[in-house]
Amino acid sequence: MLKAVEESGFSVWIRDSPSPFAFWFIISVHAVGMGLLVGASLVIDLRLLGVAAALPLAPLKSLYRIMWVAFWMQVVSGVLLLIAYPIKALTNPDFYLKLALIGIAFTLMLRIRNRVFGDATLSESVMMQKGRALAVWTLILWAGAVTAGRMLAYTYSRINYSG
Amino acid sequence: MYSAHFHLLLNHWPIIGTFVGLCLFVVSLIANQDDLKQTSLAVFSFLSLLSIPAYMSGNAAQQVIKDFPGVSAEMIQSHQGAALLSLIIMEITGGFALIGLWQFSRVDKGGGKPILPGWNVFAVLILAVATMACMAITGNTGGEIRHPEVVSGTSSALGALGGKILPSIQYVVVDYSMWVWPILEDLHFIGLILIIGAIGVVNLRVMGFLKQLPVAPLHRFIPWGIAGFVINIVSGVLFFIGMPDFYTNNIDFQIKMLAMVLAGSNLLFFHCTSYFRVCARLGPGDEAPALAKFVAASSIFLWIALIVLGRYMPFFEVAN
Repeated sequence: MLKAVEESGFSVWIRDSPSPFAFWFIISVHAVGMGLLVGASLVIDLRLLGVAAALPLAPLKSLYRIMWVAFWMQVVSGVLLLIAYPIKALTNPDFYLKLALIGIAFTLMLRIRNRVFGDATLSESVMMQKGRALAVWTLILWAGAVTAGRMLAYTYSRINYSG
Repeated sequence: MYSAHFHLLLNHWPIIGTFVGLCLFVVSLIANQDDLKQTSLAVFSFLSLLSIPAYMSGNAAQQVIKDFPGVSAEMIQSHQGAALLSLIIMEITGGFALIGLWQFSRVDKGGGKPILPGWNVFAVLILAVATMACMAITGNTGGEIRHPEVVSGTSSALGALGGKILPSIQYVVVDYSMWVWPILEDLHFIGLILIIGAIGVVNLRVMGFLKQLPVAPLHRFIPWGIAGFVINIVSGVLFFIGMPDFYTNNIDFQIKMLAMVLAGSNLLFFHCTSYFRVCARLGPGDEAPALAKFVAASSIFLWIALIVLGRYMPFFEVAN
């Protein structure tokens, strides 16, 4: 199956096309999406941890819209990169580690949305109290996810079906 | 046009600029003029941005002239060593100047004047004098490479020291362990996230999104973005020192350095000077002036462009 994906015209186009709008464009979108997704999370997490304490917390909820847009940018560009190099990713344990870290980090961000931003009657100090541990954990997990992603380029054992 | 032209275009600015900035700073301290203090601090920070491509373009100049008759490899090495140490001390000076400048962008609750801490004035003064001395030596060793009529014959201790440090940095970045480069790349990504998150959220608000947020407390995120920028300047310069031939003639890299100076200047002059008080007064729902909106939008555009230019760099790799 993976062999078929790898040999498909689309996969070959992403991988080998001399066009600047194939592989390099997709990987650029993936980097920009990372900046937006993790950057927006970072702002919420830092505020929950007391940075810019004079800033009202509740309006930061709007940043979740940016995070969702960025999340789907990452899913689409990530799937395209996977189609280009299915064997390279799927034979590397680091790839599963990366997906797991992203999954947990994003779930925790959604938990912050429900627990901290979900109830408009909460006072700021209660919001911060509820969000503190979640904020610390998401920051650690995002750092881990970015690192695991960066290391994909250095930890693969196979690049394609033939070797 | 050769990439070497960039070196001639850029390399005089840090030398003359540091001198002008230092004179201006001394006058501003004697006259106790806040605007003038702010101007000279901004000059130092801006020069620390400009010095990065000035240093890097030296490699292009080296490639062009190294085989010319009468050009000594030793002199080039000495110049490069002095340039590296000058760059390092220039960056430290620019960093301290930026910390001082930060005071001017904050809105004082009491409405009083911004106070530049004494330790900061002292640090910037000492560092600027040291930078000027190093830059003068660098300019001198550089001039001697192509102008035999002014060769003094004296060897430069600064050049010799820098000439020893440069290969050790190169060794650590490239050969010491295969993991140093990936770790630097990882830090470069984390710096990128700090920049996009912290500077991006301030710019979005100024542009008119997230309007329920007052701007003054939001401005507290800017130091986190500056921290990201510092991480990326350090890791980026280390990449260049590690593999200069990969970058020197790469058009994508050259555009990226231009974008870096522009984005850094935007951060410096917009977010870190008293101009930002125009925005810092904005409460929930208030609209920023059109010019501020434009500057905020250009900041977001430039930082995103830097990410894209970074990712496209291998696509534009030139064979050496």
